[in-house]
Amino acid sequence: MKHIKVIAVSTICKDEGIGCGECQTSCQSACKTSCTVGNQSCEQRRINHTFKNTEEK
Amino acid sequence: MVHTFSCLGSRFALDVESGSVYEIDDLTYRLLDSPLDNTEGEFSRYPKSEIEEAKAEIEKLKKEGVLFTPETLHEPPVYNGIIKAMCLNISHDCNLRCEYCFADTGAYSGRRGNMSLEVAKKAIDFLIEKSGTRRNLEIDFFGGEPTLNYDVVVKTVEYARSIEKERGKNIRFTITTNALWLNDEMIDFFNREMYNVVLSIDGRKDVHNSVRKTKGGKDSYDVIVANALKFRKTRGDKQYYVRGTFTSRNPDFCADVLALNDLGFDRISIEPVVLPEGHPLAIKEEQLPLIKEQYELLAEEYLKRLGTDKQFIFFHYMLDLDGGPCEKKRLVGCSAGNEYVAVSPDGSIFPCHQFDGKPEYKIGNVTDGSFDKTIPVLFAENNLTQKPECLKCFAKYYCSGGCAANSLNMCGDMKKPYKLACELMKKRLECSIAIKAREKNLF
Repeated sequence: MKHIKVIAVSTICKDEGIGCGECQTSCQSACKTSCTVGNQSCEQRRINHTFKNTEEK
Repeated sequence: MVHTFSCLGSRFALDVESGSVYEIDDLTYRLLDSPLDNTEGEFSRYPKSEIEEAKAEIEKLKKEGVLFTPETLHEPPVYNGIIKAMCLNISHDCNLRCEYCFADTGAYSGRRGNMSLEVAKKAIDFLIEKSGTRRNLEIDFFGGEPTLNYDVVVKTVEYARSIEKERGKNIRFTITTNALWLNDEMIDFFNREMYNVVLSIDGRKDVHNSVRKTKGGKDSYDVIVANALKFRKTRGDKQYYVRGTFTSRNPDFCADVLALNDLGFDRISIEPVVLPEGHPLAIKEEQLPLIKEQYELLAEEYLKRLGTDKQFIFFHYMLDLDGGPCEKKRLVGCSAGNEYVAVSPDGSIFPCHQFDGKPEYKIGNVTDGSFDKTIPVLFAENNLTQKPECLKCFAKYYCSGGCAANSLNMCGDMKKPYKLACELMKKRLECSIAIKAREKNLF
C-alpha cells in the first residue's frame, strides 16, 4: 500500500483459552502508581516463543 | 474507533478494537479524521486519483477487519477468588524521608515496625492456598524499606523455596529498595533469588537530593547511586529497574531519565507523582503540555541511543505488539483486590499497597485466616467493562481503566478516571507506537 504502512495488525489477542493468569502482575514490574498493562507480555506466548527458538537451534 | 495522531514527525492510526497500528500519510490522516466530507476544502489540494487510492487502501483494511473494527461487547470478568500476587510490606519503616511518599514515609499512617517471620510465613501459606491452579506466583518485598527487615526477607524466601516445589508452584520474588543500605551480601542474595529488583532513584543529583533525604535530613544521592551501580554491574541480563518519580519541580524529567542512563543504568522507569491538588509537589494541569513534550523528547533520545552502548529500556515505552497481554488481562488490569493483594506487618490484607493502613479496605488477616469477600467482589466489579468514560478512550486496552487507588484518592470514585494521569498515559502510548514504527524502519 502506498498511503498506509502496516506496523502491526490484530495485536489484541482474543484467542480461545486466554486469561490463564500465569503472566506477571503489572504492579510487580516497576510502576506501583499507575496501571500500565499494555507493556506486559503474555506468559504463554513468551514460553512458546522461547520453546520455538530452542527447537530451531 | 480509530485514533489518529502525530508523533516524532509522523502520523499514525491505532485501530482500537483490533490493536492494529499503521503509519499513514497526511492525506490518509485527513481522510480518517473526516471520512464523510472529503472532496472539498482541505482535500482540494490532493489529486482526485490520490484520494481514491487512499480511500481504497482504507476500504481494504476495513474489509480485512483490521480498521474501524466494531466495538467488542465484553463479558464482564467475574470474581474467582484466586490470589496469585502479593505485595509483602515487610517493613512499615524507612531510612529515607521522601517528601512525596504515598506511604507516609513508611509508616502508612500507623505505627512504624517490621513484619515478623511468623507473619511472613503465614502470608506465603495464605498465597499458596489461595492460588488454586496458578503455577506462577509473585511476591514483592515492599514497604517502607524492606532492607530494614533484611533478615526476615532472607528467611521468608528460604521458607517459600522450601515448599514451592511440593506445592507445584514457581514463586517469583521482587524487591523494591531505596538502595541506601544495599551491601554486597544483599546484592549477592538479590541476584540469586530476586526475579526483579526495583531501585528507587529520581534522576539528576539535585532533583533526587531535593526530595529524597535521609531520616537525619541529609542528601542520599551519592551513597544510593554508588550502591545501585555496584548492583547493576553484577546483575547481568536479569530483570531490574531504576525507578524514579518526577514532580512539579522537575517537569523536564527527560533529563532525569538520561542522567540515569548516563550513569550506566539501562532499565529505567520514571513515573509522575500522584499527590492531591494543592500539594507543592503535585503536578499542575498547566504543566501538562511541557510534560507531553518531554515524553516526545525522551522518545527521540531513546531512538538516538538504540544500537549504541547507551541503549536503554524505558518502562512506559515497552509495548509488546507481538506477544502482549490477552484481552482478559486488558479488562482487569493490575487485579488489585483480586489476584493481587498487599499484606501489612501485622498480617492485615488490603487490596494493594496503596490501601495499606486504610481500615475500611481491610479484607482480612493471614494470621487468623479471616477473609471477607465483600471488598474483593467490589474490586472485581471495578473492571474496564464497568467504566463508561474509559470505554470511549483509545488507550483503554493499555491502562485497563487506570489505577483504582489513584481514582479513589483523586476523584473519590474507583470507576472515575483520574484525568491528569490519563493524559500522560495517552501520550506515552502514542510515543510507544511511534517508537515501534521507527524501530521497524531501522531493523
